[in-house]
Amino acid sequence: MAPIVVMLFASINVSSDLFAHLWSTVLPEYIRNTLGLGILVALLSLCFGVPAAAIISQTNIVMGKQLRWLLMLPLAMPAYLVAYLYTDLFDYAGPVQRVLRAWFDWHSPNDYYFFDIRTLGGAAIVIAFVLFPYVYMLTRTALEQQDRNLLRASRLLGCTERQSFYQIALPLARPAIAVSLALVTMETLADFATVQYFAVNTLTTAIYDTWLGYGDFAAANALASVLMLFILFVVVAEQRARAGQRHQSSRPNTEHQRKQLSLIQQILASMFCWFLVFAGFLLPIILLLNMAIDYADYQQFTALIETGKNSIKIATYSATIATLIALTLALFQRLHQSRGRMIPVQISGFGYAIPGTVLAMAMLATFGPLDHVINDVAKAFDFKAPGLILSGTVFAIVFAFIVRFSAIANGTINAGIGQIPKSLDLAPASLGVKTLPALFRVHLPLLKSSILVAWLLVFVEAMKELPAVLLLRPFNFETLSTQIYQLISDERLEQGALGAILIVLFGLLPIIFLNRQKDSK
Amino acid sequence: MTPLITIENLAVELQSKLILSQVDLSLSKGEILGLVGPSGCGKTTLLSTLAGFIGQSTGSIEINTGDKLIKITLDDMLPPEQRNIGMIFQDYALFPHLTVTENICFGLKKITKVEQAQRCEELLTLLELNELAQRYPHQLSGGQQQRVAIARALAPQPSLLLLDEPFSNIDARLRNELMIEIRQLLKRLEITAIFVTHNKDEVFTFADKIAVMHQGQVLQVGAPALVCQQPNSWQVADFLQLGSWLPVMFSATENSLALSSLIGALAPHRIKNIGACKNAVLTNFQLLVKPSDIVLSSHEANNVIIEHIGVTEQGYHYLLSSLEQNTTLAFSQLSFYSQELFMLGAELAIQLKGEHFLLYPT
Repeated sequence: MAPIVVMLFASINVSSDLFAHLWSTVLPEYIRNTLGLGILVALLSLCFGVPAAAIISQTNIVMGKQLRWLLMLPLAMPAYLVAYLYTDLFDYAGPVQRVLRAWFDWHSPNDYYFFDIRTLGGAAIVIAFVLFPYVYMLTRTALEQQDRNLLRASRLLGCTERQSFYQIALPLARPAIAVSLALVTMETLADFATVQYFAVNTLTTAIYDTWLGYGDFAAANALASVLMLFILFVVVAEQRARAGQRHQSSRPNTEHQRKQLSLIQQILASMFCWFLVFAGFLLPIILLLNMAIDYADYQQFTALIETGKNSIKIATYSATIATLIALTLALFQRLHQSRGRMIPVQISGFGYAIPGTVLAMAMLATFGPLDHVINDVAKAFDFKAPGLILSGTVFAIVFAFIVRFSAIANGTINAGIGQIPKSLDLAPASLGVKTLPALFRVHLPLLKSSILVAWLLVFVEAMKELPAVLLLRPFNFETLSTQIYQLISDERLEQGALGAILIVLFGLLPIIFLNRQKDSK
Repeated sequence: MTPLITIENLAVELQSKLILSQVDLSLSKGEILGLVGPSGCGKTTLLSTLAGFIGQSTGSIEINTGDKLIKITLDDMLPPEQRNIGMIFQDYALFPHLTVTENICFGLKKITKVEQAQRCEELLTLLELNELAQRYPHQLSGGQQQRVAIARALAPQPSLLLLDEPFSNIDARLRNELMIEIRQLLKRLEITAIFVTHNKDEVFTFADKIAVMHQGQVLQVGAPALVCQQPNSWQVADFLQLGSWLPVMFSATENSLALSSLIGALAPHRIKNIGACKNAVLTNFQLLVKPSDIVLSSHEANNVIIEHIGVTEQGYHYLLSSLEQNTTLAFSQLSFYSQELFMLGAELAIQLKGEHFLLYPT
């Protein structure tokens, strides 16, 4: 949290002319776009995710078992990739419009109307296609975990199946929906590459341009602080939406009767779910595979190995350290009865809310001056100046990733530790085993799969994360995400299709693992 | 008097397994039936079938609401909301996002707001919940939650009330008090009810009638006292823990048949249900022996050994095993009470003293 405090403090003292200029010119529009995008994506994710969750958890939809996990796959797809691929597909020069023009004998854009994907609405749709699984997953779990007797009680009190769903099941799932929408909104506010590619100016693009374009660090800092305020607003709104809602289920709804859909309902429900899977995952992956096959060459492959190594290196460091920290915090929290034991976990939970761009600014604001101090001290003692060891190496990236993704590792490991009965903390002592050996012999073996899931989730997020790496990377240091971003900016994704597929494949790992784990249970 | 609910030849099959079969029951208005039986015997399935959560495979259910006769058959499976049945769940199933008042009014959508408020007010007063009207379920104690569940179930004025182990979550000290209170309330409102429990003591306090279930069938229905006096099968006697079991066999004497056991013989006229047993082809039977049917014998040789000693209000409670174990008449866990303290493992001589016994085929 310290870098964020430094950043906020620095932005309070800003006296930049550029910031004043931005405020009087483009900043209001950037804020409007940022808010508009956040609201639109949240609304679309709600419209995609909640019905999908209801269909999968409550009905006998054909291929429900497969759709259950297929609907999670879009999460593995970075939004900026989908943005590029869909632009390629739906642009004036793209195959869809070409075919339409050929069929209907149209000659220019004046002959017909076709939606423009490179707009705020287009960006919102594309981002919602890959983020709706958050809403789907959390809502589906909430619906499946509901006490079946609550629904039975409502039926006996005169509700039809439909009324029972709207009056009981959905209101009870509200906390889960609120959390997932908050996640979606935070991810949207943190998005950089999609909006930049669509030329929709938001606060993240403004921060990037102000710092790298105009070199005004103070103004960029101030913009990052404004974005941070929006994020705080989302966090508070989410907390308020959940306040007073204690819906613990004692009897999970595992054996409930599924609603039998009529033929028309089957067709509509299937079309809806398959459309989401197709739009969010299948179509983009087919387009990518097509590109990879058409443009594959040896040179591309060797470049991929080099950048792939960098990505894996950073992701491995981040995942390992974040998981170790999470594990230590979780065990500390479990075994220590002190009042302040929850504080470290709660603080680290905020990290995920901080957009990569903001975090990168905060790291620069903190590590830049620190590097100068280190160099000055080294010079004062007649040592060779070590250079930018904090802000100019992968240290800053790994540090930023750990701050940003610790919440994921904490959440996963805490959920795992919550499954271990409290009596198992006491049993080893009653058998003469001390605390530390007990941790290794009891808790760690039981937490094995949670640790693996936490590691995988952070690893994948670190592989995908773009804005923080763009701002913090050392010179000539490329990762898969920065390379793909660069190629997308140059409209040459074909040359990086293999790398993009690799990111998607890595993204699939935790989904497959979690799904298999659930099936085996 | 026309029964309020009539269940005829009801059977339920789930995943190709017969859970309920040949269930016949009927209840008059205002009667309370206690459904008992060991775990897994089908009590809760029967309740769920009556409520409409599970469909029957054969048979019919008729509910006479007073205004109309609701008949639920295979061809006309009414959904739960049209059966006019209320239910109190084991965990109460109160809607956590609604206040006490909102929970109670949940099933009153068909009447006007004014009537709803009036009905709710009456129930709040009846169940002494006025102070808690605006609270949420998680702000209430277990007993208060149960009252809300009762108020909510009674609000739509159901023809039949189902209670699924309603007292299992209540503190043992409060349970009896609450059972009497709720029974009085149901009687006052003339509510017909079926309640499920596996605690026989609850049935004796709460029910007018008892139905003992075993492996999906109703073995016996009747007034609790009558069922206790004349259990129609060993399963009924065993579940109600009416005594312990002594293996006996018919043996020929000079003039007639007699029943012999390791703790003495019995003349057939001392067996109340001898008529039913004589037709059985088996030679081995179990005699139901109450603790009061056993006395110490001064002239017999030692025939039992003490395996366990407990202390009760009635004195020391001993569980006895026969000294002879290599015979089909060997027994264990025979209950015997005495004010005198014996040592664990001590050998005693006992004999049968009672006048009337019940006998069941093994």
